[in-house]
Formats: sequence, C-alpha cells, structure tokens
Amino acid sequence: MKEKLKSLLQKLFGDSVRAFGVVSLVFLFSLAIAPAKNHFSEWRHYQHGYLKMIRNRSDAVTLQRHFEGGIQQIWLPDLGVVDRCMSCHVGLKEASLNDVPTQPFRPHPVIPHKLDQFGCTICHRGQGAATTVAEAHNSTLAWEQPILPAKYIESSCGECHRGPLPGAPQLNQGRHLLSRYGCVHCHMVKLPDGKIMKATDDPPSLSHIGDKTTREWIYAWLKDPQAYAGTATMPNFKLSDDDARDMSAFLIANSTPLPGDTATLSAKASSDPSAGASLYGESFCASCHAVQNAAGNVVGGDVGPELTRVGNKVKPEWLQAWLRNPRDYDEETAMPHYRYNDAQVATLSGFLLAKTDSDLLANVHLEAATPEQIARGKRLVSDYGCASCHEIGGIKKPENFAPELSRIGNKPVTQLVFLPGMQHTLPDYIAAKIKQPRLFGQALKMPQYSFTPAQIDSLATALLALNDRAATLPPSLTVAATPESDYQPAGKAGKLMTDLACFSCHRINGHGGDMAPDLTWEGSSVQRQWLVGFLKNPNTLRPSLIRRMPRFNLTDGEANELTDYIMTVYQSPSVDRDSMPLSGYPQGEVELGKQLFYGKYACQGCHIVDTKSDKGYIGPTLTQVGSRLTAAWIFAWMKNPQALRPGTGEPNRAMSDEDARALTAFLISQKGGGKSEVAKK
Amino acid sequence: MADSKDFTAGVESNAKKSPRRIVFITRRTSAQVKAETEDQIQTFPEVLFRAAIAIQVLAIALVWIALVFNAPLEGLADPSHTPNPAKAPWYFLGLQEMLHYFPPVVAGVLVPGLVVMALIVIPYFKVNIEAEGLFLKDRARRLRIFYLIVAALSVFLLFFKVYAAFVPTLIMAAIMLLAAQSSPQSSSAFRRYLAAKPLSYWVMTWFLFELVVLTAIGTFFRGPGWSWVWPWQGS
Amino acid sequence: MAKTVDQYFDDLRATRVWRSVFRSGTGSSTLKRALAIQQNVFLHLFSTKVRSRMLSFSATWYLGTLTLGTFFILVATGIPLMLYYHPSAPQAYADTKDLQFVVSSGMFLRNLHRWSAHCMVFLVFAHMFKVFYRGAYRHPREFNWVIGVILLLMTLLLSYTGYLLPWDQLAYWAITVGSNIASAVPIMGNKIRFLMLGGNAVNANALLRFYVLHCMILPLAAMFFVAIHFWRIRKDGGLYSHASEPATVRAKASPAVTAKEAQ
Repeated sequence: MKEKLKSLLQKLFGDSVRAFGVVSLVFLFSLAIAPAKNHFSEWRHYQHGYLKMIRNRSDAVTLQRHFEGGIQQIWLPDLGVVDRCMSCHVGLKEASLNDVPTQPFRPHPVIPHKLDQFGCTICHRGQGAATTVAEAHNSTLAWEQPILPAKYIESSCGECHRGPLPGAPQLNQGRHLLSRYGCVHCHMVKLPDGKIMKATDDPPSLSHIGDKTTREWIYAWLKDPQAYAGTATMPNFKLSDDDARDMSAFLIANSTPLPGDTATLSAKASSDPSAGASLYGESFCASCHAVQNAAGNVVGGDVGPELTRVGNKVKPEWLQAWLRNPRDYDEETAMPHYRYNDAQVATLSGFLLAKTDSDLLANVHLEAATPEQIARGKRLVSDYGCASCHEIGGIKKPENFAPELSRIGNKPVTQLVFLPGMQHTLPDYIAAKIKQPRLFGQALKMPQYSFTPAQIDSLATALLALNDRAATLPPSLTVAATPESDYQPAGKAGKLMTDLACFSCHRINGHGGDMAPDLTWEGSSVQRQWLVGFLKNPNTLRPSLIRRMPRFNLTDGEANELTDYIMTVYQSPSVDRDSMPLSGYPQGEVELGKQLFYGKYACQGCHIVDTKSDKGYIGPTLTQVGSRLTAAWIFAWMKNPQALRPGTGEPNRAMSDEDARALTAFLISQKGGGKSEVAKK
Repeated sequence: MADSKDFTAGVESNAKKSPRRIVFITRRTSAQVKAETEDQIQTFPEVLFRAAIAIQVLAIALVWIALVFNAPLEGLADPSHTPNPAKAPWYFLGLQEMLHYFPPVVAGVLVPGLVVMALIVIPYFKVNIEAEGLFLKDRARRLRIFYLIVAALSVFLLFFKVYAAFVPTLIMAAIMLLAAQSSPQSSSAFRRYLAAKPLSYWVMTWFLFELVVLTAIGTFFRGPGWSWVWPWQGS
Repeated sequence: MAKTVDQYFDDLRATRVWRSVFRSGTGSSTLKRALAIQQNVFLHLFSTKVRSRMLSFSATWYLGTLTLGTFFILVATGIPLMLYYHPSAPQAYADTKDLQFVVSSGMFLRNLHRWSAHCMVFLVFAHMFKVFYRGAYRHPREFNWVIGVILLLMTLLLSYTGYLLPWDQLAYWAITVGSNIASAVPIMGNKIRFLMLGGNAVNANALLRFYVLHCMILPLAAMFFVAIHFWRIRKDGGLYSHASEPATVRAKASPAVTAKEAQ
C-alpha cells in the first residue's frame, strides 16, 4: 500500500517537468471553479424556480412569452439608480400571478406609478444593484440602507411629494404632527425645497404668566402636563419636585404684569350653569376647545387648549379680561374677539371657572421662593430650552438647541447608540427615540410625549422622508408643496378680520386654517343680503356639523364693513356674479331643472331641497340656496365644481350648458320659507 | 612562433576597425583557473520548472482564498462621515501606530526616512561586511556603549509613553545581554549562535521585532479614537 | 511500439514552426540547455547554471520567485479589471459594485487581485529580511540590494495607489490617513500632498492620479527595476551562498562556520 503510494508520487512528481504538468492541471481546475460558481448564482436559481412554477399553470404560454432570462435591470440615470430586483422578482408585472402565496414571484400591487419609470428602490430602498438576496435586502458594510419596512413605505412618497398627498395619510399625519407638536421648535428641519419647517402649535408667552395663573398650577403642570389636560401639547419633562419648584418660582418672579389682567373683577362671575353652557354652545367654543365629558371622552376641537380643568388654572380676573378681548393679552392669538357684553362675560367665566378638579392641586404646597431657588429655576429654564417654544422675558431663544433633523433619514446606523435588545435599524431607532427618549440616557433633555403607536409610526415616516435623495432630487422630478402664503387683508375690514381671527378657520388666498370653507371667491358666490345676515347671525348651513361659525355679536356697521369688503375683493376672475339674474327664469326651465335634479343627476342623494322627502346629508342643504348663492356661481359650479374649489366632494358631471342652466333656474328658485328669511338691512 | 610579429600592440583609436582579442602569456604569469568545486545545475529545465511549480502552488492557494473570501468593500466614499477609527492599509499601520505617540514630523517623516536610508546603506558599511560577533572583541567598551544606547532609547520611549515599543526593546536588550555573556566556546548551541551575531543582525532584528509588534497592535488592537481594544471585543 | 510522450514532444520541437519560434533547437545536451536560456529574450536575464545547493527550499524559501509570481497574477487580473473600471467618482464605486454583482467572475477577479496584492507586500518584506539574514547583500551584490529596497518601496506604492481605486469608505479614509502623513514633512509637506493628490483632499483628481500611477507608471517602473534586479543576480555571480564568496570574507564571516568548513 505504502509502496503503491510512493510509486504514484514518484510517477506524478518524480521530475520537475512532470510535477509541473500535474500542478498545472490542479491550477487550471481551480481556475475553472470561478465561472462555475458564477453559473450557480442565486438569481439564476430563482429564474429556474420561476420557469418551473409557471410550467403547469393555465397561463403558462403568456407568462413564458413575457419571461426574459438573464439579469434584468431598471436604470434611472437621473437618480443614479440601477435596480436589478426583477432578476429574481420575475413576475412583478404579471397581474395573473396574484394567487402566488409567497415572494419572490408575487406581482406588484397596483400603484399610481409605472415600475419601469420608478424602479423598486426609490420606494422600497435596499440595494437595487445587488443580485443576491442578502445584499439586496439587508444592511451590509457596503450598503447601509436595508429594505424599508412596509409600515414606513409612505416615507418614500414624501421624497418627491413635498406637499400633502392624498393616498399617503400616514406621511401627511407625520408631517402635521412635526409642526403641530412643536418638534421643530427645538429641532431645525430644513425641508428639501430649502424652507425651514415652521411650528403650528403656538405655545403661549410666559412673560406675563403671573397674571394668568398661580405658581401652584405651574408646578403641577410642569410635573405632568397631561394630568391637567390629556390632550395638552406640552410634553412631560420628567422634572423632579425640586426642579418644578424652582422653575415655577422663577417663572412667577420673572413675570411682569399687564394693565388689564390684574384689574378687579368687572363683573361677578355668574354661577348659572345652564346659561353658561348655552352661551358656550352658541359661541361654538367647542369648535376649537375640547372638554372631557362625563364618559371620559374628550369632545371638541384642538385649535385651542382643552378646558376640562380650566378653573384650576386661570385667575378669574385674567379670564374675564381674556374673554372680553383676548388680543389685549396675546396679540397673535388664534382666538376670535367675541364682542361679549359684561353679562355674557360673567356668565361664561362663571361657567368656565366651575370646571375644576379638586385633586389636581390638592397636594401642591409651596413655600415662598428663595432667591437661590429662583436663580436655580432660571438656570433650569435655560437648560431645558423652555425658551425654544415659549417667549420668556429675559431669556433668549436658544439656537440649535437640539440636533438638526433635515437629513435624519440618512443618519448612518454606525452613529447611533442603540438600546440593548433593539433592532439596529434607523426606523426602529427613530420610533424608539420618540416613544421614550429618556431611555437613551437620563441626562437627555428630550421630553416624554404621549403619542399613540400610530402617531409614532407616522412621525417616523415623515422623518425618514428627510433624506439625501429628497434633498438632492432634481426639481423637475419633485411635486412641490403649495407654498403657504402670508396673505393679509387690508384696511379697516382687514383689521376686523384679524380681530375676529377669521383665518383661524377660513382660508383666503392660500392663507389660513382648513376648518371652515375657503372664502377666496366668496364675493362671487353669495348674495349680499344673505352674507350680512349670516355674519350677524350665522344659521345652520350644514346641520350635520358640530363645528360651525360662531356668533361674534357684530354691530351693523361691522357686518356691513366686512360684507362690503368680501363682496368687492373676494371675486373669482371666471365668475361674474351679475351675468345671470337671480330670478325670472321661465317656469319650463325650472321644471326641467327639477327633473334633472331628481332624475338624470339624482342630486337628492347628497342634498336636501324638499325637507320632507329628501334624505341627503352629505352636501349642504339647498332649501334656501336661491337666496344664498348667485345664479352665475351655481351655473359655473354645475359646469365644473373642481375649478372653483379644488378638492370639493361635488362630482363633475360634465353637464351641457342647457342642463346647467336649467338646474340653476331650479336651484335659484329655492328661496326658502319665510321663516328663515334672513334679516335685511 | 616567437619570430614573426605582424601586429602592433597599442591603443587603437580608429573606431571603425574591427577589434581583435589577443592574449599575452608571459613567463611569470600563467593562466590560472580557479577551481569551482560546487555542484551546479542547469537553469533549463530544472530551475525554471521548479520556479514555475512554486508560482503555481502559490497561485492555487491564492485562487482558493479568492474563491472563499470576498475582498472587503464598504459604503461609497463620503468625506463627511469619518469612520472611527480610520485606518491606513495594514503595512502602514506600524507607522500610524507611531503617529499616535510621536509628533507627525518624527513618526511620519523622520523615522521612515531614516529606515529607508538605513536599508539602502546596509551593504556599504564595513561593520556589516565583516560580520563578527558583536561582543567578541573589546567587550567591556562595547558593553558600556550598549548600556548607554539602551538607556537612552528607554528614556526616549518612556518619555513619549511608547510602551508598545519599549517592551520589545527590553526583550531585545535582554537577549543581547545573554549574547554578551556567551562565546563561541559556550556549551549550548543557542548561546554559541547568539555570540556569533554581529551588530547589524541585532539592529535589524530589533527593527523587525518592532515592525511586527507595532503593525500587529495597529491592525488588531486599535478601536475608536485609536484606543486600545481586544480583538475579541468587536463592536 | 507506441511512441512515448517525450518522443511526441521531441517531434514537435523538431518542426519548422517550433524552430522558427525557439532558436535554441532540440536536444538535451548541456549546450542546448544553455542556449535555451541564452537565446531567449526573457530568460537570458538569468544565468545558465545555478549552484545546486541553492535549489534547496531552505536557502531562499523561493521568496523572490513567489514575489514574481504574485506580480504575474496581479498583471493578469489587473488588466481585465481595468476593462470594467472608470477612474471617476462616484462611478468607480458603482463599477466596483457591478464587478461584484453582474460581471461574470468579476468578484473572483477582484478578490484574487486584492489578496495577491496583500500577499505580494508580505512576500517582498519577507524576501528582504531573508536576504539580510543570509548576508546576501554583501559585495558584489550591494547595488542589487539597493534595487531591492527601491522595489520594496514600489510595491508599497503600487499597493497604496490601488487601495484607493474601489472608492469606498475604506479606501477613502485609508488614503486620507496616509496622505496626511506626507503632509507632516517640514516646509513642503502640504506641497507634496497637493502634488500627490492633485488637490488638498482626496477627491476625483486623486482617484485619476492614483489610477494612472497604479495601472501605468508604477507597473512599468517596477518591471524595469525587476529586469535590472534579475540581470544583476546573474552579473553578480548568481544566487549568493557563503561558500562561493572569497575566502577572506568567508573567514571573517563567522568563526563557527569557518571552523566547520575547515574540517
């Protein structure tokens, strides 16, 4: 045996030429492995699997004709993207493969974009150039960004779509929350279009806080804002008792009085709860302010603060001064200046002051503050960056208080410090950081918010959209946001509109809130008499809505001033309100219109003309539309509603001029009963 | 043979004339061929094929390494994100390790410059050519110089806190002391071996030792901020 | 009687075509074998005979030969790699990626090139130390030692310039660290770095510069010096062995050795 081996070795390696031949063979064999390895690559394996799968299907012929072997790629030169995902995901475009249970052969669901134009990684991320499963989907040394988890997929929409996008509710909500919860007070967010994201939460100035509330309330609020109001925007800074004591001491000591707030009570607070409740209701306070009802549900709007325990908070003198004219205390407030008389102020303040919770301040006992405590409080107020959100006399708004988030979506994972046991991915990090910031270090200043998991996901979605690609995208490939205008109405009427805070709810020329209808072309759409009456006494235009136009107790002069301005200034260039008469249409035309209304176009599905028979509650009630809208507006509206108010629910029925005219004639004849005929000048 | 002389000895300056070679054999000198006693072998085919086999064996090894291990590749070069630590190629890590201790002029310019100079001049120093045992002659004086140099080097290294280079220096000094206590008559073969080693051997070995130690430290024991980490402590 | 393989080879060597290519002719006589070396433009750099003692593995560990082998591999893999590579940022990185993902055996080529490069640097160092400890730098081989040192530096430069080409983080920062060392030279440090990188920082200019150095200038220069290196081995008396040296040197070299040889 040993001899045999020896002779074999002798045969193979006996002399150097022979040995060279043998070694050469081994060498060539080794070299041949590389192409073989190449041949058994993963993507080939999946393509074989695909062909095998479709062979027995009924649609095999079609699928086989569509199949192309080899590495498939989508190249987007503008974006520097090469996606080879379809080398393995072969059936992406085959809708008929919908019954395939698992990847990689499932077809792509229907989306508004074409796969060939957008590729895969623009939305899903991951490494498109890779041709192996691990390299394409996972985070590797050579490619940081793994596949984006499906729940954050809308963040990719946000790279190109800079404004609100129907169909991406999570992204829209996340962007809204970023400004609504004041994240951008501390964290600078420079949007991809170069603008700085602005906060929309309007935190109050603390320079005169001593007029408004007590140190005890401040203490309780600082300790736990959500204990006072579950919907409070202010987050919980997890302050110690001493910290809250000293900060409240400083804020009170630092507060300067305003003349009106500390005046003695001008009217004794009324204690008639039913009168207070009805005034609260008539003024539609609930459109903006929420109150927790007996069942524990918070009901009302979130424009102003929740009022469930407002009696624990405000001083009566201040509340009355505020109700009389909020602009005396806060020039910029979103609260309208209701023209309440003394009796109404007393009634409403009495109603509000009764909203207390005896537990809230029961355990708060504060000694008089020492100068050391006040000095320490000042330091803490600076340290926690209170002035990033609130105006505080003597303390400057800190610059770059928290890390900038403009490119957070590309933050390298290597620069993050993860908690033990958590997934090492950027989305998980962002979500965990928002959920419980202080877990990442007790010394961190970021406070605790009370977001729901859905809100956290939407915030993470919005933040992930702030990445390098979004910032470097050629402008031609982006869908720009409608820029927020800073439109301000002019003159006396403009002043009045500011005083009434019309823009808190209404939008005009791209400026203002979205709670109430856009008034940009109001002058073309309504009749003068109706508008005057409506301003004096807003009636129920849409009975199904909780939020409605409140009554501001305007004087005749103010109502006329406002009406004149609206009728003159807010006119549509495409609708001439005097081009069609408000009455005098032939009876035949009115009848035809009625038939079209109930027959061809079935408008009663959404609208009510005859209160007895119609059941439509989606659109506004039209019983008095003839005395509200102008005929020209109705006609133009029938022809193309979206042109007048983009995004309206009214469908475009592509009517002929004759149909539109007949419907206009019918609707303009709906003047309503004498009962609701509005007051005339 | 000796009667006819049809040529003239002298320096011919005509460049176009074909030169002829002539050998003069006088009585006092005779052609002497130095006997080459060593066995020789022809380059072709034995040496060439052996070389080819050696190269192929290495190539086979490298091919298998290349089949199994992928070359490292990281993310796209990004000047704004500095990896920590940022390391040079492995053969410069000894240098980078020194940069950690010494000012850049010393570690980055002076030391490598001197090393290259020293390498170049090695064959031109007589002490290298003669190659006698360092401590065989003039032992007392040489030992004094040796102590002086080791002390100076130690102070220098300790001043800069270069323990990574100080420890190998001490080890080398200890071995050299052992060599100083040895002679060709020593009983153990190892000590006879040490005693025969010349100065150049000691300097080069010290250099090799330092090179290996510093490179190994730079490669395996340096983490974020060039701080000391153990290789098994991976992040 | 069937012909043996050797006979087939002999017949092949006797053909006109073979004779026109290889001038040395057939036959295994000493003359023919010497001619095979002498008459070949590449092989004539080597001597026709080698001391048989030097063939043993322990004498040289074949380190020089192996270094040459890695150089062959690097040239053979480097040329196809050049076909897939644009020396421009950031295309260079995309090319490296494509090499991995779509080029047939591209990853293998890159792996082989990279590991061979590391191997070559290691072998050059090893070769140098082996030569030193053998004392093979002595007269008359002084200058060949100097050329060896030059080749060592060139190998380092070749490897260093190649290190940048993938244009990834590893490459970028390794070269940045390395080039910062160059800027420590007194007075003209920054000028040297500027010349080296074609700018004040590692950028696209540096990439192009390193590419040209790596693929053209340095390999040609290295081949030039390798040729001299080999030619000098022959001219300086072949591979060094103690016994071949003049007796005067040998006597002083090592008393122990002399004592042994004197027996």
